[in-house]
Amino acid sequence: MAERRKFKKKYCKYCEAKVSYIDYKDLAQFKFSLSERFKIMPRRLTGNCKKHQEMVTIAIKRARQTALIPYIVDRKNVVENPFEMIK
Amino acid sequence: MNCYETLFVVKPTLTEEETTAQIEKVKAVLIKENAEILATDDMGMRKLAYPVQKNNRGYYTILFYKASGETIAELERNLKINEEVIKFLTVKYTKTKEMTQFNKLVAAASKKGELAEASVVETPVAEEAPATVETTTEEAPTAVETASEETPVAEKTEA
Repeated sequence: MAERRKFKKKYCKYCEAKVSYIDYKDLAQFKFSLSERFKIMPRRLTGNCKKHQEMVTIAIKRARQTALIPYIVDRKNVVENPFEMIK
Repeated sequence: MNCYETLFVVKPTLTEEETTAQIEKVKAVLIKENAEILATDDMGMRKLAYPVQKNNRGYYTILFYKASGETIAELERNLKINEEVIKFLTVKYTKTKEMTQFNKLVAAASKKGELAEASVVETPVAEEAPATVETTTEEAPTAVETASEETPVAEKTEA
């Protein structure tokens, strides 16, 4: 018998909060969908629904364009606390 | 007429007057093109997530306005020419859900603007207030407090 699934059932946090639009300036709203290195987290890990994942993607890409969040975080310019700027 | 939102970043090297002059310049373009400016949101000086044209900081401003489509081309042309503007982004709001969000943003921005205006009004009374308002958003509450305290004084002087 294979090991039992230990994870919680995933659910969309945006659906729960009834978010109808994700603003690219409101970093706190999509911070949850970013990895430590500011990559967009996949749906299989966050549990976002398709609709909200698309909104998140657009918002994150816009925020990147306007230098609100970085495109990449690499070892060349190390930031001590990457999420410090998002508040 | 469509609803648009334009965010632009002005270079940090400019003085306060020069920054406001640049913002006015952008607004003038919109007014010339018969756009209806609904609200202005001053995000103030912010750290950029990555250096842009060797700048590490920038002065963020957001304009909410109603305009026809051709206006955007003219506005973006002007922003591109302007060397003091290092970044800009225009977003269009069309769907009903987006429109509700847009109205919400406009309301929030205009509210913020009114508070800033209130502090501007009381400048002749208290000279310390404007400095605190301009520097950071964190200090805004204190400025508001001073504004509420100072306004009765201002009214008295007017009367």
